[in-house]
Amino acid sequence: MIDHSLLMIWYALLVSVFFAFLWREDAKGRRNLFLKTFLILVVGGIALGWLMYPFP
Amino acid sequence: MTKEEAKAVEKAENVPAVPWPLLIISWLVPGLGHFMLGRKVRAFVFAGVVCAAFITGVLLNGEIGVPQAGNPFSWLTTMAGLGNGVLYFLRLIWLNGVGGLFSSLPLGLSGGGDPAALGFSYGKTFLISAGLMNLLVVLDVCDIARGLKR
Repeated sequence: MIDHSLLMIWYALLVSVFFAFLWREDAKGRRNLFLKTFLILVVGGIALGWLMYPFP
Repeated sequence: MTKEEAKAVEKAENVPAVPWPLLIISWLVPGLGHFMLGRKVRAFVFAGVVCAAFITGVLLNGEIGVPQAGNPFSWLTTMAGLGNGVLYFLRLIWLNGVGGLFSSLPLGLSGGGDPAALGFSYGKTFLISAGLMNLLVVLDVCDIARGLKR
């Protein structure tokens, strides 16, 4: 059985770590970008799913 | 700006030429380009992320991009899949065998995956993302090697 939420979180984690290390040089900048990207991906994904819920 | 003009500007600004062998190495083995440039932390992180995304995609029964007749979008997924470098070729050999790999070119290759599997689309997304991330890694290596980035 596939857990969709877990996969979304795993994907968000990988992408966030990747861009944090690609685009930022210092530890603080990396941490901030990671948190921002991760939260946008996870919360945005849940929000989009919630918005699309009424549609078939 | 023409190609010649761009080259003249680069020469005037003392920007080193594009290190093609390094870029090819970086493309083939995720993270190796950064490792060779001394960016070891980044190298391990990028290698880990790209390999983790690729393995997740394979475990989810995702299809790796292969060119298909009558499906122009398959060329785009092929380009993205090719971004995985050696991982892409290993997956193709795993699916088609070494002999099948050459005899099935260009339109008869199997990309694997099971469209009926629940994780098929997710797997494909992970595989495509891994390839695109590795292509960004290659561009990063290019910038670092040319002194345009630390």
